[in-house]
Amino acid sequence: MKLNYRYTLAYAVLTFCVLSLGFAIVYAALSRSVTQATIGELENLNELIANQLRRGQPTVADSLRPYVQASPVAATDTTRRVRTVRVRPEWDAALQARVSVVRLTTYPVVGGRPYRVASRAAVVEPRDAYLTGLVLVFAWTFVFLLALVVILSELISWRILRPFNATLHGIQQFELGQPHPIELPATRTAEFQELNEFLVKMTARAQRDYRGLQEFSENASHELQTPIASIKAKLELLMDSELTEKQWQTLTTMHDELERLAKINQALTLLAKLEHFEPAPEALADLSQLVPATEAAFADLAEMKSLTTTQRIAPGVRVPLDASLTQLLLNNLFSNAIRHNVPGGQLEVELSATGLLLANTGLAPSAPVSELFGRFKKGNSALDSIGIGLAIVKRISELYGHRISYDYADGWHRIRLDFAQPAE
Amino acid sequence: MKILLVEDHAELARSIAGYLGQEHYICEVASTFDEAREKLALFSYDVVLLDIMLPDGNGISLLKLLRKEGIESSVIIISAQNALDFKLTGLSEGADDYITKPFPLPELHARIKAIMRRRSAHKNNVLTFQDITADLESMECRINGKLLNLTRKETNLLLYFINNKGRMLTRQAIAAHLWGDYTDNLDSVDFVYQHVKNLRKKITDAGGKDYISTVYGFGYKLSAPDQ
Repeated sequence: MKLNYRYTLAYAVLTFCVLSLGFAIVYAALSRSVTQATIGELENLNELIANQLRRGQPTVADSLRPYVQASPVAATDTTRRVRTVRVRPEWDAALQARVSVVRLTTYPVVGGRPYRVASRAAVVEPRDAYLTGLVLVFAWTFVFLLALVVILSELISWRILRPFNATLHGIQQFELGQPHPIELPATRTAEFQELNEFLVKMTARAQRDYRGLQEFSENASHELQTPIASIKAKLELLMDSELTEKQWQTLTTMHDELERLAKINQALTLLAKLEHFEPAPEALADLSQLVPATEAAFADLAEMKSLTTTQRIAPGVRVPLDASLTQLLLNNLFSNAIRHNVPGGQLEVELSATGLLLANTGLAPSAPVSELFGRFKKGNSALDSIGIGLAIVKRISELYGHRISYDYADGWHRIRLDFAQPAE
Repeated sequence: MKILLVEDHAELARSIAGYLGQEHYICEVASTFDEAREKLALFSYDVVLLDIMLPDGNGISLLKLLRKEGIESSVIIISAQNALDFKLTGLSEGADDYITKPFPLPELHARIKAIMRRRSAHKNNVLTFQDITADLESMECRINGKLLNLTRKETNLLLYFINNKGRMLTRQAIAAHLWGDYTDNLDSVDFVYQHVKNLRKKITDAGGKDYISTVYGFGYKLSAPDQ
């Protein structure tokens, strides 16, 4: 969720809460003031009746006022003569409904005699009269506020968060292996300045460490080649001397292990080289020619495993790739497809303008397919491979922006290379 | 035939020189740039085996110097650089061939032979071993005049055997020779077994003796039966 959406959502929830609370307060206040107003009116009425009584005017008989009763208090009545106000729901015959009714009883003294004046009135409930209006007012306010928040948050994020977004973009563009430092735009916001400074410092250090490590591993594997060559030569010379069978076997193992060491070392040197290889922008490889040529070069290996190969090659497919890297990539793909195949299996090669698909039958890989592009990951640990071929393939594809994917289903391994679409 | 080996790693130089000596080459060793330059100025060599990384200079500049001065020796670069370095940067420009460390000694031998053959194109272009003859022009192999129907890989394999006759060839060395060292395809040694098997069968079917012997599952050796 984007930062300004979160802001908007938080504002919306907050606004909703505040408005709801406001609505409750307004409703309660309104409710109370309506009752208070009714009580006030009844007080006026009772006062009016008392005055009329004092002037000796007829009051109670007034048929227009059936809700007022005035009567002298009997001497025997011992009820406390205090003014009482009662508000409670009652059945109203005129309205045919249960309504909240206010009853006010006062005890004015008229001509030395206590009177009891009882009046009542139905309260106009805010629930009935104003609720819809109130809700509408609040709903509109809410909608208006929300719209304001949405617009403002967009504006704010555009204006205030602009350096932040630019920094994010800078981080996304950043690659550890790139030759130049990270590029972050200048900003006046103190926090963003601090963030940028920190990022620049951190990435610079990471780049330095990375470069150092890379140089080290490249030099190390490079320096190892000569001693390995020396040991290998010595072993080979030793082979030409008279040896017992036991010595032979030891020598064989040593030689095989050394061979393996040399292969790993070579692959690592190659990978290190590819890490900071700058692809020439104009390099184009003619896959329509290279793919069948590679297939032909591996034909004898495929034949020995009794594989059936089918090829569908579109003509004139030229993609941005260095020719010798392409050869390396194809060699790795084809040798994998043959090595991990089953005897009598199948191999399918399909080259189109958009991609290259290599599918081969084979046993299910023992590791998740997504991991097989990593170094030293092997789909089948029984085979005597070092498991670095796909890492090399991936690196070469990445260099030129091609996308490589691998999946396994129904006994088929499929490696697909989607060519980068040329920018138009 | 005289070979100059320019290599600063003393032990490796000794092994290579020893091996080439066994193959009846006269091999001299120079361990520095200056020593190599001096030797090249004083003597003439048929082949120069050149390491790129030298303590006091770069083998490539030595190669350029060599060509500038019109020295006609063939040059094989021996380097710890990756094969890809040569292809991507044209590192081997001006050299006749290159071989990356570590390499099987028989492979080096085969490369030297191939270069020598190219240099003396008019001379003997037929390799013989016992009753086997191989015409390097037409790539045809015969046993007692009878044409062997070999695939390209099998022909290549037979030539490799004949060039290194009497010598133990490991499966890895054969695989590297036949398929190059581009892939980490270590189980190509199984394919070597197949190829050797087919080759032996074709030779014996054509009436030849089985000159190829297996050595403890380690590799193969081409030798005359009485040896």
